[in-house]
Amino acid sequence: MLETREFLFLDGAMGTLIQKSGVQYEHNPETLNLTHPDLITSFHRAYLEAGSDLVYANTFGANTYKLEGSGYTTEEVIKAAIRNAREAAKDFDALVALDVGPTGQLLEPAGSLSFEEAYDLFAEEIDAAADADVIVIETMTDLYEAKAAVLAAREHAPGKPILVTMTFETTGRTFAGVSAEAAALTLSGLGVSALGVNCSLGPRDLEPVIERMSHYTDLPLIFKPNAGLPDPNSSEYDIGPEEFAESVRDIAKHGLKVVGGCCGTTPEYIAKLKEALADVTYTPQQKIEGPVICSPSTIVHINGPRIIGERINPTGKKLFKKALQENNIDYILNQALSQVEAGAEILDVNVGLPEIDEREMMVKVLKAIQGVCDAPLQIDSTKPDVLEAALRAYNGRPIVNSVNGEEKSLSTVLPLVKKYGATVVGLTLDEKGIPKTADERFQIAKRIVERAEAIGIPREDVFIDCLTLTVSAEQDACQQTLEGLHRVKTELGCKTALGVSNISFGLPYRELVNRTFLTMAMEEGLDLPIINPNVASMTGAVRAYRVLKGIDKNSLEYISAYQDYTPPESGGAAPAAPAGSAHAGGSPAPESGAGLSPLQNAILKGLKTEGSNATKELLLTEDPLSIVNGELIPALDKVGADFEAGKVFLPQLIQSANAAQECFLVIKEEIARTGSASVSKGKVILATVKGDIHDIGKNIVKVLLDNYGYTVIDLGRDVDPRLIVETAMKEDIEAVGLSALMTTTLGSMEETIKLLREEPSLRNEDGSSKVNVMVGGAVVTPDYAEKIGADYYCRDAKATVDACKTVFKN
Amino acid sequence: MMTLGPLDHREAVRYLGDSRVAMTEEMEALLTECEEEVLAAADPKFLYKVKELPCPELMVGKDIAEHLDGCSKVVLLCATVGAGIDRMLRIAQVKDMSRAVVLDSMSSVAIEQVCRKFDEFIAEEYPDLYQTFRFSPGYGDYPIDLQKWFLTELDAPKKIGLTTNDSYLLIPTKSVTAVMGLSETEPPKRKRGCASCNLRETCNFRKRGAHCGA
Repeated sequence: MLETREFLFLDGAMGTLIQKSGVQYEHNPETLNLTHPDLITSFHRAYLEAGSDLVYANTFGANTYKLEGSGYTTEEVIKAAIRNAREAAKDFDALVALDVGPTGQLLEPAGSLSFEEAYDLFAEEIDAAADADVIVIETMTDLYEAKAAVLAAREHAPGKPILVTMTFETTGRTFAGVSAEAAALTLSGLGVSALGVNCSLGPRDLEPVIERMSHYTDLPLIFKPNAGLPDPNSSEYDIGPEEFAESVRDIAKHGLKVVGGCCGTTPEYIAKLKEALADVTYTPQQKIEGPVICSPSTIVHINGPRIIGERINPTGKKLFKKALQENNIDYILNQALSQVEAGAEILDVNVGLPEIDEREMMVKVLKAIQGVCDAPLQIDSTKPDVLEAALRAYNGRPIVNSVNGEEKSLSTVLPLVKKYGATVVGLTLDEKGIPKTADERFQIAKRIVERAEAIGIPREDVFIDCLTLTVSAEQDACQQTLEGLHRVKTELGCKTALGVSNISFGLPYRELVNRTFLTMAMEEGLDLPIINPNVASMTGAVRAYRVLKGIDKNSLEYISAYQDYTPPESGGAAPAAPAGSAHAGGSPAPESGAGLSPLQNAILKGLKTEGSNATKELLLTEDPLSIVNGELIPALDKVGADFEAGKVFLPQLIQSANAAQECFLVIKEEIARTGSASVSKGKVILATVKGDIHDIGKNIVKVLLDNYGYTVIDLGRDVDPRLIVETAMKEDIEAVGLSALMTTTLGSMEETIKLLREEPSLRNEDGSSKVNVMVGGAVVTPDYAEKIGADYYCRDAKATVDACKTVFKN
Repeated sequence: MMTLGPLDHREAVRYLGDSRVAMTEEMEALLTECEEEVLAAADPKFLYKVKELPCPELMVGKDIAEHLDGCSKVVLLCATVGAGIDRMLRIAQVKDMSRAVVLDSMSSVAIEQVCRKFDEFIAEEYPDLYQTFRFSPGYGDYPIDLQKWFLTELDAPKKIGLTTNDSYLLIPTKSVTAVMGLSETEPPKRKRGCASCNLRETCNFRKRGAHCGA
């Protein structure tokens, strides 16, 4: 119908008609499909008589979560709803849609419903709607949830048209912070038939939103606004049918093809709408040129060099490898945040390490990064199964890094890029390795582009990487790379990517070579330099280039980045504090001085740089362990005692702990260098129990334990009891700390302890439990802790440290 | 819809759990910075609905009946400072926990301010009626699972993006659902104890066995 009609007319509100009819229902309006089928059919008929070509079955809230307690199953409700709509539609040339609304729960990371659980809820609805002609997904405020629904529709009803609309505020963002542009980009990539907006506001207020969407998709647009805003007392909407129809008529020029009404609209609105559009022709919108990628909140238009941060990658990085092995996600999140602060616009994410499950880790890391970081991501793996899992889990439109000229790669990676609507980096190598000459690399690039286009991936979405080789090994290779890049850019018209840092291996003053090569490559047409953005001169080279090429209009970005720049003092400037460690302005002020060493003073005052400098000095004369036991721990104990006595604030306690952490880092490096004994005082699991997402308390405990020298395995929040048991077994754990903040989640705490106690391999020979369980959290009491079989009740973070000292006898 | 005014630093310190500590200049500066950050990230919203009593769905348990004794109407409230606050708190927890705990307290001040502004708003709308204080699911014997009913009744997920999870935690986390009674006659003064405080589950005073004195 989309092809054959000038406009496709949807229906208006179902809820408004239900309300006006005065019919009573229990629990969910969807139960009316079974209790009052004729009434529901009559509503559909009224819309069809008014001119609707497509009616939405009364299934908006018919998912298992929302129907809980209604006495009906999803299948019963949906089958009845479609039957009712079909009954009305049979006398018209009209289609029936399954209407899928939000699950009613927030998805991770904001909420606790997982992407996969949301998918299952939607799949159940779609399975029940085999008789529907179309799947409609509407009123979505979370792009991630919309994606779960679209994937469920594509995979459970292959070939059926999918219409998706999201709900925006006047800001052009949803409650979840999703921008109109990112929604349009991501959903078009997922292969829907049409997309647009519904609900929240009247047509005029939604015009800017649909206009913004229109530049980022070439699909037909859907427009289903409310009849204005409701009066809070009478619930009457303030825009009448005539005005509504006239407004939509004016807005149709932005590419509207599928139109209808949401809350407050009735058959009269649809009739007027049809009248108003009778002599209007559909005008497809103009999409902007060039590739765009996005996260839910941020789009990056690749219309000049854009920095891809390369730091989330274990290759050659000891600390990163260790973080992956220890499941230390916070370490990775810090890498993400500091790169963005330094100027990265896109982050490459590579977590490949032989001894870990790359697929599982990739999904976990992507979700965690997207929970705190707005930059779009580049998914970096060679394994198709990792790429597919990541493409499902990613919220937005990513870059896949990478496909190459090998047949195996082309035939496995490109179909994934197509299915999930991503963009892709194409490496100019194949079965024979990296060709020596620019021309051979160009030929591979050409092949990759042709294969991509053959399955419907536009050329603009393929970014060719002509591969950087080490110039100290092969001096001519640099020229070949640049020449290849130039030809790809000019002859194939593709965007280009390049990992820059490889160029300088084996040379002194690598930064200088990298920066010069980067500038040369940009001049040849490099769009996506993959660099370490924390090196100021590299990021600076890109920013300066954008000014000199006229890309950064009026040098605005450049000025905002450097307006406070002061050149470093020549000759031995003090090392800058690492990003993110700047003082929050709240250094504690416990009485200091008397009899305390400089190191202890630094910790008491929460001063990181001073602390690490003092540690370095002490290491010249003392061994690491005696610094830990003689300096760090006593200083922390003193702050802890001050905290308990009400002399310092909680933030000050934490700042001291953070300062101690800097000192520990210095000591750990020394130990790694000299190979002396480990300073770990014991391994502890921390978790906020299943169902609970308040984890600030647990995180405070983590900071303190870290800095008392314990190795913390942080399993995060909303943690399944089984995972805690399995980790305890795998890591040979003696202490587990559990936190619960709500009375409703105390049950999960009890269940976790029960499982820990039941596991035979976690028992000593005499049958006693190997694992010491510490519990805490606002609602936990000493009595309750005893009742559920915990070993230690921990009132606060300091008490947890004390418990660990007892457990590990240190 | 509404804007937040200055956030009370003393109240934030109280939520941090200790009013005994002497204020320092650094701490005051940190509080100011965190206040600015919270005000920038907050997207305060509320929804309400006035219902005539009796309302059987609402009356579960003894405490609510006592609370609404003598009232002719109730006002149902759903309020939130939005998902941006949760995101801000997640980022702060990665970057700097000491800042995160202050931001967390300051965000609690913000949602409490939304609720107080709402009280004033209702007082203006119904100048002839007396208000009871706000009573929330989870107070006393008032079942926490009524959260879902409140949200559905006000269409809160769709209208202000407020939801719960399976454990009836409100998400975004800095949010409130509550019912307030309206009465033609002045209700008897009731002590608003810990059982009917929004911080009852997170309060550092209670953990120490102390009382905030509010």
